[in-house]
Order: sequence, then structure tokens, then C-alpha cells
Amino acid sequence: MLVKYVARRILASFVVVLGVTLITLILMDRTRGAYVPGIDFNPSLRPEDVARLRADLGLDRPFYVWYLSWIWGVLHGDFGHSMIDGSTVLSHILDRLPNTLELTVTAILIGMIVAIPVGVIGALRRGSKTDNTLTVVSVAGFAVPQFWMGLMLILIFSVTLEQHGLPWLPSSGAFSPFNGGDILDRLQHLILPATVLSFFYVSTWSRFIRSSMLEVLSQDYIRTARAKGMSERRVVYLHGLRNALIPLITLIGLELPGLVSGGLVVEVVFGWPGIGKLAFERALQYDYSTVMGVTFFATLLVIAGNLIADLLYGVLDPRIRYG
Amino acid sequence: MPAAGIETGGARPAQSYWNESWERLRANRIGMTAGILIVVLAAIAVMAPLFSLVLTHYQPQTINLDQTFAKPGAAHLLGSDELGRDTLTRLIWGARVSLGVALLTVALSLSVGTTVGMVAGYYGGWIDDVLMRLVDTVLAIPAIFLFILMSILFRPNAFTLAAIIASVGWGSVARLVRGEVLSVKQRDFVVATRSIGASDSRLMVRHLLPNVLPVLIVAASLGVGQIILVEAALDFLGLGIQPPTPSWGNMLTNAQSYFFRSGWLVALPGITIFITVLASNLFGNAIRDAFDPRLKS
Amino acid sequence: MSQDDDARGFEQFERFLEEWSRRDFLKRTGGAAAYLTFLAGGLEFLEACAGGGGTTGGTAKKGGHVVEGNFSDIRTLNSMLSSDTASNQVIGLMFDGLLNYKKDGSLIPALASDMPKTSADGMTYTFKLRSGLKWSDGQPLTSDDVKFTYALAQDPAYKEVASPRRGDLSKYIKSIDTPDPQTVVFNMAQVFAPFLSAHGRYGIMPKHVLGTLDPKAINTAEFNTAPTVVNGAFKFVKWDKGAQVTMARNDGYWQGAPYLDQWIYKVLPDSVAVTNQLKTGEIDIGPIDPGQYDALNGVSTITRSEFPVPVFTFYAYQLDPNKPAGPLFQDKAVRQALLYALNRQQIVTAVFFGHASVANSVEPPTSWAYKDKPQVIYDFDKSKAESMLDAAGWMKGSDGIRAKGGLKLKFSMITNAGNKQRESMLQVMQQSWKDIGVDATPSLIQFPQLVSQIVSIRTFDMFLVGFNFAEDPDQSQLWHSRNTAAGGFNGFDFKNDQVDQVLDQAVGTLDKNKRKDLYSQFQDLMSDLTPAPILLFNHGIWGVSNRVQGTDFGPFNQFEPRPWNHSVWVTDGK
Repeated sequence: MLVKYVARRILASFVVVLGVTLITLILMDRTRGAYVPGIDFNPSLRPEDVARLRADLGLDRPFYVWYLSWIWGVLHGDFGHSMIDGSTVLSHILDRLPNTLELTVTAILIGMIVAIPVGVIGALRRGSKTDNTLTVVSVAGFAVPQFWMGLMLILIFSVTLEQHGLPWLPSSGAFSPFNGGDILDRLQHLILPATVLSFFYVSTWSRFIRSSMLEVLSQDYIRTARAKGMSERRVVYLHGLRNALIPLITLIGLELPGLVSGGLVVEVVFGWPGIGKLAFERALQYDYSTVMGVTFFATLLVIAGNLIADLLYGVLDPRIRYG
Repeated sequence: MPAAGIETGGARPAQSYWNESWERLRANRIGMTAGILIVVLAAIAVMAPLFSLVLTHYQPQTINLDQTFAKPGAAHLLGSDELGRDTLTRLIWGARVSLGVALLTVALSLSVGTTVGMVAGYYGGWIDDVLMRLVDTVLAIPAIFLFILMSILFRPNAFTLAAIIASVGWGSVARLVRGEVLSVKQRDFVVATRSIGASDSRLMVRHLLPNVLPVLIVAASLGVGQIILVEAALDFLGLGIQPPTPSWGNMLTNAQSYFFRSGWLVALPGITIFITVLASNLFGNAIRDAFDPRLKS
Repeated sequence: MSQDDDARGFEQFERFLEEWSRRDFLKRTGGAAAYLTFLAGGLEFLEACAGGGGTTGGTAKKGGHVVEGNFSDIRTLNSMLSSDTASNQVIGLMFDGLLNYKKDGSLIPALASDMPKTSADGMTYTFKLRSGLKWSDGQPLTSDDVKFTYALAQDPAYKEVASPRRGDLSKYIKSIDTPDPQTVVFNMAQVFAPFLSAHGRYGIMPKHVLGTLDPKAINTAEFNTAPTVVNGAFKFVKWDKGAQVTMARNDGYWQGAPYLDQWIYKVLPDSVAVTNQLKTGEIDIGPIDPGQYDALNGVSTITRSEFPVPVFTFYAYQLDPNKPAGPLFQDKAVRQALLYALNRQQIVTAVFFGHASVANSVEPPTSWAYKDKPQVIYDFDKSKAESMLDAAGWMKGSDGIRAKGGLKLKFSMITNAGNKQRESMLQVMQQSWKDIGVDATPSLIQFPQLVSQIVSIRTFDMFLVGFNFAEDPDQSQLWHSRNTAAGGFNGFDFKNDQVDQVLDQAVGTLDKNKRKDLYSQFQDLMSDLTPAPILLFNHGIWGVSNRVQGTDFGPFNQFEPRPWNHSVWVTDGK
């Protein structure tokens, strides 16, 4: 049953991936002009040079020819070369993917670490001033523009701190250029962007945990446990929290699709060398092949993420059966 | 679902559902305050030219190179920017962009999504399969990539921007509507109406649509805040509304480089976005609490 | 002293004054004393002191690293394939060419032992290489490598190599001979005065590595992104894509091993990051945006240097009468009037915060051919602009917009999005022209689209863009009528026989004095015709940490290969 479902989903996914990459190509194709990707304002280029350079890059073919040859290449694991720097697209992606994952996974971890206590406290002290304050903060966190928060954090924790001679946090990059790269150094660079990214998670998840906790705590088995004389603490943490957290896993699963592309704005603001920033820059430079490759990977991850999330949901919620 | 609708045998949900919901909404004080704030912002946006004329006495694009980076004061209530343009005026006109694009996006998302969802849910079969695969495809594209590509392709103005953002949003609306249609489809009144020979489209519009409406209202109200944020982010990245037309997002694009001359330029547009999105989220929550048929049990 | 030397001398004195006043000397000793000191050789003294850092002198310490920041990632490390600044910058650290620039633009021999011998007819350049040149893997660097490098762009056998230099090199070079391992002879197809300065500095590529590949394969060779051998001051270590390029000292460098252990080129998101990171010390060297100059006031750990550069911003009138806006700008009076209506000094102050210079001529002030006062100078004069337009028949209508024969003086201006200064300039221009009854609307498009517009599509009314010239005063790329063909940069369709003639004559002779006269005529002509007025010339501004000594930035030693890279050292040896 399950196997059939997964198989059907994977099959459908192929169609979707084809569809997405086709759409991407069509979009990029429509932007064809006389521009040669990678060549800035270069006066010594003659029209025949431009034509030849474009032909070298394969830009003179009709798009379906190009698409088919691209698919053929992908099936052999060849994503082609960047039109701007000649490196393989795969090398660009593999170089940056770990950075992106480092960022988004950390953000999710921070999200969990902060959201759980916030949600639990809110539930336990429902209606109190604490609860109200936390609610306001959560709702507010949901409304702050990510890019603006990034700017403000850079201004506060990097520029202003440094101005006053206090220890400051770095404002861009994933690691220090010289003698950098160790865990501590990477953490230092990670704090600000990951915090910005985690704000959204903290806001939504804390609300969710709170209501989930409230729902669980009103269940019969909780009352039973209390009646049996179990300590309040055991009731809350052992039974209540554990059950309240189960649906959270599906929520996290829902974030899997966004793991690769969700951090794009943060990456751009913080100069984080990730996939999102790569896609953004290359799209603006009309580096077709790189954009296609990145879109392909991102889509693959979105689909995989959706599939995993749906499966998790099914596993955890016995009411759902796949047939 | 409103049981009253079925019992009376009518296709429309009973009046009491709407009245009930309105009552519930009115009782929510925070929500209502937020809602009023949104309405006021919308009014300000619509009357922006009037405000320019009467309140601030500046046009959003009038430059004054002798009054750059002015601090908030008599001449410029909220200060001025790097070309001496009045910040307050630009914030007011920026509201037009943010709220206008958001409204348009919601309208587009809802119309396309509802149509697709209804058709898919109603007809079922291979039509459903094809349409839902299409929805899957659209939902699988990492939204932000699509936005970037489309912004490069289309010269961004309010309409194209709304279309771009809606092109990703309609998918979830379609799914939602399809789900609702599937559950309503089985009901007696539908079968009955069909049997008396009502045409498909008539059935969809006059009978299914009203049942789907509550879910749509909820989806719309919850989504507006996010749309405003997405639009601002696109503007900030330089992919949305281009200067010199002011938008809250593009007022922030270069704000960081002017921080040391005037921190107001960084703070004000961001705070404005924050307040607007917060209000629309609160109002959206209030609407959801009041109108969501699934919350009644 | 000839008039030239006079002018040059005065120029030097002005520079000297600038340097002195920065050190507060002038304020105390007064101008006369300064001039006396100057005559006594003070300029040389100052230049010796000006190591780019705040502290003077001290013996160079070995060891340590330098982080240089910029806002683009490199694209390729093959000198024949690169066309962007970032790549050229890093290539310059790893590969030397036959010649190099001093910071004032004068050519000095690099891999060549001397300036080349030029034949009397100007058709042959003979270079002698230094003896004992080696690649970092020990292989000797010979004339074969030089010939190979140029062949990549010039030889039909290599036509599959996607070099942006092919157009020029294949046009001007007829053949290259290598009579012996130390001698390279360039046989030209025609006399081309800018040849040495425009094409004599390309980093030489190793034939024993790249020459083994198929021409087509050279485009995607791994060497291009991870060079295994170099002939320059630093060796390639690693390229963290999107983040930085790490380089290490090349002990076998022909000028002697550099003091530094490492040179790191770091990619930064924007100009604000450059300033921030100069302050925090995350980078040691970086180009400073004019708007960010003041952010470093009072920062005692950074020394800023500023100088004029041949980089400029100009806008172009659509001159093709068949295009919609063409008829508007055919009349020279209109073009001139619009320029008179612009307060360019105000633009320099407001948009560049004073760090630019109003352009009086099409030649940059850094050029030896620069004419300070050409025939027509356009100081801001609103009333003159208005009377000129009135006289030309463009009368203000009831809506305040001027019109003539039913045609309104209304047009759109395009530039690329993402460049704050250009956006601001368009808005100032819009306002200035609105004040005289001209309706101009700014419109921002993506850079690739702007390039397409200028080079092929050409449906614009007016565009604004930045450009930079090389050291040679030749400007045919922009103004010669043959470049109005599709693909050329004369996208605004400027055609003038006189200008064509002067430009052609000036590149066809190697006699510098003759060239200078011709360019004087050229600047007069252009100042009168104003087909595409240059608004201003930029300043190059660099920030260097005080712990870094030995840098010497100048108009032609910025992002180009720099002859002093190897002599940079750090005071703390770290």
C-alpha cells in the first residue's frame, strides 16, 4: 500500500520536475537579447564575436532543442558549465549547498530550542501576563520583514558594537578569510543570519506548541494521570509535552521543501555563500545553465520534502491511510 | 459545516452563519482595532495625492538637493532622504504600492485558484488529475526563484508584480477549494439540484461557491500579511517596483549605506511594513476566529 | 621648459599641495614655503613616504597575510577569457604580462626586460624577455608562452577559444614570431598606436599546461578556475566559490619572493560591507564608495587615498532620425541647451558627495592628451538653456512642456537598476529638465537588457551608463561611425566625418606630439557637438589598513594588474 503510494508520488514527481525546469527555461529564454552572459561592457567585441560567443554557449538554438539536450545531460549527471565562468554547474552547487543547509538547519534548531519553551510556558500560564506578552512577541515576530531585520541586526551587532569598542559579530560571509573555517569562527558568522531566519519558525511554532499543549492537557488521559497521583511535573513533561510535540515534527517536515530556497533573502543580505544567493546573482547575470541547475536541485528538494512531510504526517496521524 | 444549510434544503448557508460570524468578529477587540487600522491605511493610500497636497505639501518624487538627510522636523515631519525627498510623503505613497499589490494579488490568487479548484473538484476524473498535477508543479517551484526569473522577464509594475506573486499563491487556494468542493459534492442538495437539470456552471457558481466562500475568506485574510512581506522583499532586492516610484521595500534597498547619515531612513520604512503586516495578521486571525466554519463544533 | 613640461609641472605641484595639506604642513608653513620645498625635491620625498599606510618607513617584515575585498566574485583566471574587473584583479596577482602600468599610466617592462623596440614604420614590436624567468613549477617561461597566450585570441587555429579579445587582436596582429626563447616579435597588420598600452599587459599563460588541450577544451579547462602554475607574485591555493580566493607566496617570482605569506581576495555583498569590514579589520584593503567615504572619518586604523580615474558617467541622445526620439535631438542647440540646464557640480556634491569631478572634456583628466578648456565649456546656466531652446523654436506649451511643430520635448531615460548613483542622477536630471520645460522620465532596467539596448535593440530615447577608458586617449569605440553597426558601442548613432578622420589619424601614428594635437582637435569638436555628454569623471578611492605597507594605488593601479603587489608587507607580520 505504502510502497505503491510512494512509487506513484515519485513518478508524478518526475513530471513535476520536468515541468518546473521547462518553465524555468522558457522564462530565461524569453530574456534573450544581444547580451552575452559573462561579458561586461566590452567595446572590442564585434558583432561576429558576439554571435560566436553566443553560439559557443548554445544560445542560438531554439529552446526545445536546448531543453532536450539539457535533459539528456542531466540524465548522465552532467549539468553543464556556467555560462559566466566555465566551472561546472555541479561544482558551484556542491560548493554552496552545505553553506545553505548549515544556515537553514541551524535556523530550524534555534527555532525549536526557542519555540518549545515559549509555547509550553504560554500554555501552562495561559491567560497570564507572561502568556500575553509571549503571544504578542510571537505575533510580532511573524510580521517583521526578514530583510529589514537582517539590516537592523547588522547595524546593531556589527557596526554599532564595533563603533563602541565592544565585541562585535561579523556582517557577511560564512567564515573568516584568514585562519577561519573552524567551528567557532563559523558559529560567529552564523549567529546573525540564522537568528533572522529562525524568527519566522519561532513565531509560528511557539503558537502551535502552545495550542497543541493546551489541547493535550485537556485530554482525558492527562486527568487520569493526575488522578493517579502523578506529580504535576511528570504529567506536564512526560505525558503532555511528548504528545504535544508529535505534530511539531510534521510542521518541521513542512519546512523541508524550503530548506534550500527559503534562506535566499537572508543569504543576499548577509553575503552568505549559499545556493539562494547563487541563484539570485546568476539569474541577474543571465547565466542560464547555472539557474537551470539550481532550480532543478531546489525543485527536487521541494518535492522530496513534500513527500517526506506527507509520509510523516501519515505515520504520525493514524487517521490517514494511503491507498 | 453549517448544518442549518442542509436542513433548510437551500443552497445558501443560513443567514445566521454570517450574522454569527460578524458578531464574533465585532467582539474581538484587538482584531477590530487592527482592522480599523488597515482600513485607515487603505484610505490614506487611496487619498495619497490629497495628503501630498494638504498635509505634507510634497510630491513623492520632488527632490531638493539642499535638504538631504534632514532629521524629522518642521520642514520634513519624518525627515528626508538622500535626494531631499520627504519621507512621510513617500511612506504614504508607498502604501499605495504595498496595499494595492496585496489586494490585486489576493484577487488574482482567489479567482484563478477558485476556478481551478472548483473545476477540478466538481468534474473529478482525468480533469482533476491534470489540474492537480499542474498545481503540484506550481507549488513545487521554489517561489523565490520563480519571482526572480519573472521579475527579470517582465518589466515590474504593480500589475505584473501582483500576477507574479499570485502565480505561486493560486496553487494552495486551488487545493483548498478542491477539498471543500469534494466534501460538499456529496450532499443531497447538490444531487437534487443536478437532477432537476441545472447546468454545471450554474451549479458551481450559485451553489458551490457560497459554500466555499468561508474558507476563501479565511485563506485570503491570513495570506495578506505574507504577501505584503514578499512584495517588500522583492522591491528591496530590486526586482519589484523600481525607483523613483516609492515603495516601502525599495526605500530600504540602499538605506543601509545611508545609515551613518540618517538612521531614520533605515528604521521608518521597516517599522511601517511591520505595523501594517502586524495589523493585517491580527485582523486576519480575528476573521479566521470569527468565520472559520471548521472552528465551530 | 616647454609648455608641456610647464603644464605637467603645475599638475605635479597641485598634487604635491594636496599631499602636503593632508599632512597639515601647508596650514602651518604656507604656500610659498611649500613651493620652495617642492622645488627642492619635496615631491620625491613625499612619494617615498607615501607607502599608502599612515606610518612611514620601517623595514619590511616577512610573513603575514592581506585580505583584499571587493563586491564581485571572480569568473575565470585565464587572462585571455576574462572580461570582468574581479577576475582581472586576481589574475594580476598571479600572472604578469610583458608590460605593466605605473599608477600614472606610464608603461614599464614586467616580464619583458625593457620596453620593446618599435620599428620605424610602427609595424613591428620586438620584445626581449628577462633571462631566467620561470613558472612556479620550475619550467622556464619563454617566448613560446607569450606567443601561445596571444594566439589564443588571435590565431585562427584557436578560434574556438571564446576570447573577448579576439576582435581587436586578430584585427591588429598579423603574426607573432619567436626567433629565440627570449625574443617575441609582433608583426602588426596596421599601425595602431594604442597597441602596447591596450594589449601589452595580458597575463602570460603557460603553454606547457594549456597548450596540451584542444582549443575548444580550453574554454572549460580546470586551469581556468584552479591554475596549477603561475608566473606572478602569488600562487593559487583555493577558490571558495562565492566567498574568496586564497593565494600564497610564489618564491620563484622574478622580482623576488613577496614578503607576504598569503593574499586573500574576499567577496563582499556590497559597498557598505567594504566600509564596515575595513573598520572591523575583517578586510585590509578595499575600494570605497563615494557615499561611504565619510563613514570612515575619524577611523584611525584606515588610510584613504583618492585620485581621479578615467571612469565616467555619460548620457547619450538618440541620434538616429528613424527612432522615435531621434527628431528631438538632431538640432545641436537642443543637445547643448539640455547640457547647460544641468547643474553638474550639484550632482557631484549630492550624488557623489564631492568625490567626482565635473567633466569638461571627453578625455579624462588623467590622460596625457587631456585638454582642460576645450572649445565649449558647459557651466550650469539655466537661463541660457531656456533662451537657446526658445531660439531653436521649442516653445513652452500650456502644460509647461516645450514643443515644436507638434512634437513635444518629452522622452524617457534608461539606466540599469541596482546602481544607486545612476538612479539618483536620472532623478536630478529629470528635475533640472522639468525646470526648463522638458519632460524626461527615468526608467530602470536590468543591466543585461541595458547592454542589449545600447548594442543592438537601440529603441531607447536616452540612456545613462558608466564607462571607462584605458590609458590610451583613443576613444573610437564610442564615437567612430563604424561602431554604429550592430554590436558596436556607438549605439546612439553618432556619425561625423571630421571626428572619424581625426580618430583614425590619431591611432595611425606613433608620434606622440602629433597625436596630442589631433586629440586637441578631437576634444574641441566633441565639446561642440555633444552627442553624448559626459557628466563627470569619477574618483578612485581606496582604503588601506595601517598595518599594510607598500601599496601604491593610483589611476591606473586600481583593479588592473599592479606592479607593486609583491612588495606589500604587514607591520605585524601576521
